[in-house]
Amino acid sequence: MSIRTRLLQAAAIAGLIPLAAPAFAGDITFWTWRQEDRAAYTELFNDFTKLNPDIHVKFESFAAENYNTIASTALAAGRGGDVLQARAYGGLEVFAKTGYYLPLDTTNVPELANLPAEALAAETLRADGRVYALPYASQTLGLFINKDVFAKAGLTPPETFDELLTVGKALKEKGITPIANGTATAWMDEVFAGIFTAPFLGPDFVADILAGRATFADPRYVAALGKLLELKDLMPQGYTGIDYPTGQQLFLSGRAAIFAGGSFEIANFRKQNPKINMDFVAPLAATKGGARYVAKFFDGGYAVNAKSPNQADALKLVRFMGTKAYGDKFAALLGNISPIKGVTLEDPLLSKVATLNAVSIPYIMAVYFRFDTPTGSELLSGGVQKMFAGNITPAQIGADVTAGISRYYEPFQKK
Amino acid sequence: MRSVSPLWLAFLLAPAALTMLVFVAWPLLGAFRYAFFDFNGLATAGFAGLHNFTDVLFEPPWSAWTFQALRHNIVVFAALMIVQNGLAYLIAFALLKALPGHRLHQVIVFLPVVLSAVIVGFLWKLLLHPLFGVVNALLAAIHIQGPPWLGDAETALPSIILANLWHWTGFPALIFLAAMQRIPAETLEAARLDGATDGVLLRRIIWPLVAPAATIIFTLTFIGSFNWFELPYVMAGLSGAPGGATDVLGLYFYRTAFGSVSSGLQDFGHGSALAVLMFAFLAAVSSVALRLLRRREVDIG
Amino acid sequence: MKADRLSAGLIQALLLLNALFMLTPIAVMGLSAFKTNAELFASPMALPEAFSLDNLRTIFRETSFLLYLGNSVLITAASVAVLLVFATMASYAMARYAFRGRETLLLLFLAGLMVPLKLAIIPLFVQLDWLGLIDSRPGLVLVYVAMGLPSAIFILTGFLRALPGELEEAARIEGASEARVLWQIMLPLARPALIIAGIQNAVPIWNDFFFPLVFLTTDRLKTLPQGLTVFMGEFNTDWGVLFAGLTLSALPITLCYILLSKQFIAGLTQGAVK
Repeated sequence: MSIRTRLLQAAAIAGLIPLAAPAFAGDITFWTWRQEDRAAYTELFNDFTKLNPDIHVKFESFAAENYNTIASTALAAGRGGDVLQARAYGGLEVFAKTGYYLPLDTTNVPELANLPAEALAAETLRADGRVYALPYASQTLGLFINKDVFAKAGLTPPETFDELLTVGKALKEKGITPIANGTATAWMDEVFAGIFTAPFLGPDFVADILAGRATFADPRYVAALGKLLELKDLMPQGYTGIDYPTGQQLFLSGRAAIFAGGSFEIANFRKQNPKINMDFVAPLAATKGGARYVAKFFDGGYAVNAKSPNQADALKLVRFMGTKAYGDKFAALLGNISPIKGVTLEDPLLSKVATLNAVSIPYIMAVYFRFDTPTGSELLSGGVQKMFAGNITPAQIGADVTAGISRYYEPFQKK
Repeated sequence: MRSVSPLWLAFLLAPAALTMLVFVAWPLLGAFRYAFFDFNGLATAGFAGLHNFTDVLFEPPWSAWTFQALRHNIVVFAALMIVQNGLAYLIAFALLKALPGHRLHQVIVFLPVVLSAVIVGFLWKLLLHPLFGVVNALLAAIHIQGPPWLGDAETALPSIILANLWHWTGFPALIFLAAMQRIPAETLEAARLDGATDGVLLRRIIWPLVAPAATIIFTLTFIGSFNWFELPYVMAGLSGAPGGATDVLGLYFYRTAFGSVSSGLQDFGHGSALAVLMFAFLAAVSSVALRLLRRREVDIG
Repeated sequence: MKADRLSAGLIQALLLLNALFMLTPIAVMGLSAFKTNAELFASPMALPEAFSLDNLRTIFRETSFLLYLGNSVLITAASVAVLLVFATMASYAMARYAFRGRETLLLLFLAGLMVPLKLAIIPLFVQLDWLGLIDSRPGLVLVYVAMGLPSAIFILTGFLRALPGELEEAARIEGASEARVLWQIMLPLARPALIIAGIQNAVPIWNDFFFPLVFLTTDRLKTLPQGLTVFMGEFNTDWGVLFAGLTLSALPITLCYILLSKQFIAGLTQGAVK
């Protein structure tokens, strides 16, 4: 048999294979970009199936950087998971305003009452004031400290920005990289900037931005960005080429002492290095004894596909995801703070994060400037990356961010 | 050549013509139409006139991004034209000599060509890693501290070009080789008897005779460098890290149309406007260039 | 003749250097697949200490590598088969029959060579959606067919035009139908051109990342390059596993290439030199 005949046979078989295996009744799919959470969700879904023996949930995950493309293309075609993990704020609106998600209220999901207003606001479409997803986690940005590394070096973790500079120098002399983060992954640069500018920007600055009294070209903001450059010496060698996973690895292996990140790292860090002795603290203070503000935001929610043929089952799952039992287990398995009222946080680190949340400011770009293009997030992260890798000044970042946002943000247009 | 019944002709031509119509011509028209609309999320929301075009061309920050990306595509094109095609020409000449082992060398130089850009991109990203990358380990062996190749604004784009060079050099090399092998042996022999060195041979004798192959290679290089997507996508990410230093039109288009990780939003209107502009640019430049190159073939041939 | 030997030596040196440049990355990739993270950190260049198979095991146990591989085979085979059938039919009509508008039609097909279809991804998506072909193999296959038609028609018309007409005429005199002439007389003669056109399209389809990324969302349907990015994301801090994944993904086509290098080279370059 010639190669050609064989190829033709293969083609014939390809054409005959049915396009989609018929789904079993009672099977629903859950779509997410959290590829690393498969095990935890499998366990949570098993609990659900115990309560609803006729419904099985299938976990389908996609690379985070392609999730938007994949989900939007699938939803546009009337396909996609029955329940989908949704972003918050502007990222939610793109999907919600096109009618891809089912609006939720206390009649179809009574469990919405278990959630605080602040969390529901993050999953609300501003145009119609309706909720489109059940929020699953709040995230807090701060510093991870490898306690063993500090102990071995005989040093105490810094509390102020200036202490960081001196402690960092001492760590470096002992051959330890003080800060694990590099700047190669763009979205982490917004996190990095958020954490290390926090000492110099308080709630007053956020209020001024929202009231239109200040822009991002404000001297306070520019000076805070300038402070980031002082950290260059404390970052890993070749930090502009160090991406997010490499930074994590440096911290986990004890080669670096501090990792600037979010509470979303906790579970992953524990899984990768169960022996790690770490702490999570609020970003630094400007002066000794000064306030230390964590930046807080809501991560996303669980939405129901408006065109799902299994909507009743999908709603059952989302209702289950709004119960305290789910919240408890979600927090325990994934190390994230569930916003559901009364959730117990077994993990001491997690309950510490919850207490840190008492002194918080909103993670400004994510919460307020991700609704239109160009988003504040892409402007800021691009600017910070450029500042570290190239040669633009903090003042230029401030001006670029302000100019970009002013395209749609009226308070800036008058300036 | 004969004429046959129209029915038989239609039967032969219809499948190909229909496929092209439905999957190439119609979508292209669609891309053109979308560029004139505003989008609300993923649905059209009213006629936009020319403003999607004027936005990406003249309104900051889009205009700055557009021209930065275009500039990078031009750099990539120039680098590949000179370095990749130059190297390919020399390798082809070396292979033409048919020295012992030349067949093996032919297979080796072409090996990376068959790999996917995704594999090549990931591989080079790991090779260029600042902490455990082989490139910096080799440099350290001769006491040079290598830069974080993909992290520095100066070295990031050249690094991706290097990966492209590794991936693709074999392709123009073997096209040049095939063209060189068509040159009658007597022509080369006669030139040698006249005392022509290899250098003279390469510049004066072979170069004009492989002009048609050069036309093809130049055109493919042009189209390839302005459609660059997979390699920078894998190696530098959708935002063209660091800070847009590796942003090219392909990435910029994708990011605008589909949004990036968590910070960007889908924007089909501006995305389509970019696509139309890129298409017009590619079509215009390549048709002019083809005409010029063909004339050159006649002139020097 | 000393100068000759000198220049031959220089040329050999150039080729060796080039071979080193081409092969080192592949060797490093293969060797690193057997290393642990700690080994990679400590000495990226050294041979693996124990040739551990753990990384490969992880790939097979925790990813759908074999599924992705099968999908890639299926999609590539189906696309190339349909493409060759459509292209042969159209090329045959344009190469062997006289009809009005023939040259214009050929030019229209060839204009497709210049179209970067990626730029029409948004309307193409809407189009496929309208036809109910999103997230399905036939949809992707048809897109690949459309993409490959111009170059295949280019190669095949050129080849079919150059074939002598005697056999064809003889068959007709014996009363063979047009279909029979095409199938039994001309097709066997066109075999070399079909192989070239097939390989020329099979390689880029096998390696394509962009279209499956947008058009296929179900994990069960994903192709190898797409699947590769999935586990690159899942194991992003486990570099040994990443190298193992790369090695395994590169393996099938590399083996094919080594076995059929002549056909591959001819297939990929000849379309350009015609």
